[in-house]
Amino acid sequence: MKRIKRFKKGDSNSKFNKLSLFQRPDTKFFKPCPLSGKNPPVIDYKNLKLLKKYISESGRILPSRVTSVSLKKQKDLSRAVKRARILALL
Amino acid sequence: MSCYEHTFITKQDLPESQNKSVLNKYEDLIKKYSGEILKTEEWGLRNLSFNIKSNKKGFYFHIKFNGTGKTIEELEKAEKIDEMLIRFLTIKVKKHNLEENYFDKKDY
Repeated sequence: MKRIKRFKKGDSNSKFNKLSLFQRPDTKFFKPCPLSGKNPPVIDYKNLKLLKKYISESGRILPSRVTSVSLKKQKDLSRAVKRARILALL
Repeated sequence: MSCYEHTFITKQDLPESQNKSVLNKYEDLIKKYSGEILKTEEWGLRNLSFNIKSNKKGFYFHIKFNGTGKTIEELEKAEKIDEMLIRFLTIKVKKHNLEENYFDKKDY
């Protein structure tokens, strides 16, 4: 959340300061992990409905930078997908 | 004793009665080697997502049981040489989820 920096109202000069190359884009938004938080869905190799959301059309696992799944849950997810593949479920 | 989930797929051209006998055979095997069966699920005939040894469909059976390493060893040893099976998978779980059956409905 620290990344999001809002500019003060009425500060017209702030737009020019933003031209620095090393500044992070202001519009970058933070999406919370869809599999964490309260009452998260169970990641299981039998839960095909959930797993199908996180694979592409050709059956590849989507990267977490696309789906914004946390690192821990991404590991669980990829393990579940691989187990489902062994049983020819996916 | 640890919690395990075991799934195996049998060939599609087997008759119903033989499918049952395959299931009973492995249930007895688990019991013989100090295993304790908690739940058995039949997922029925499903399409395989890819062909395995030129099979397009298969009957799925799912067993939840408590057992030891010896149980798994003997179970997989018997399944490896079984020609009626296409594939099997054993997974160790921390806790059994006996209520939810993901393959109850037919809309998959």
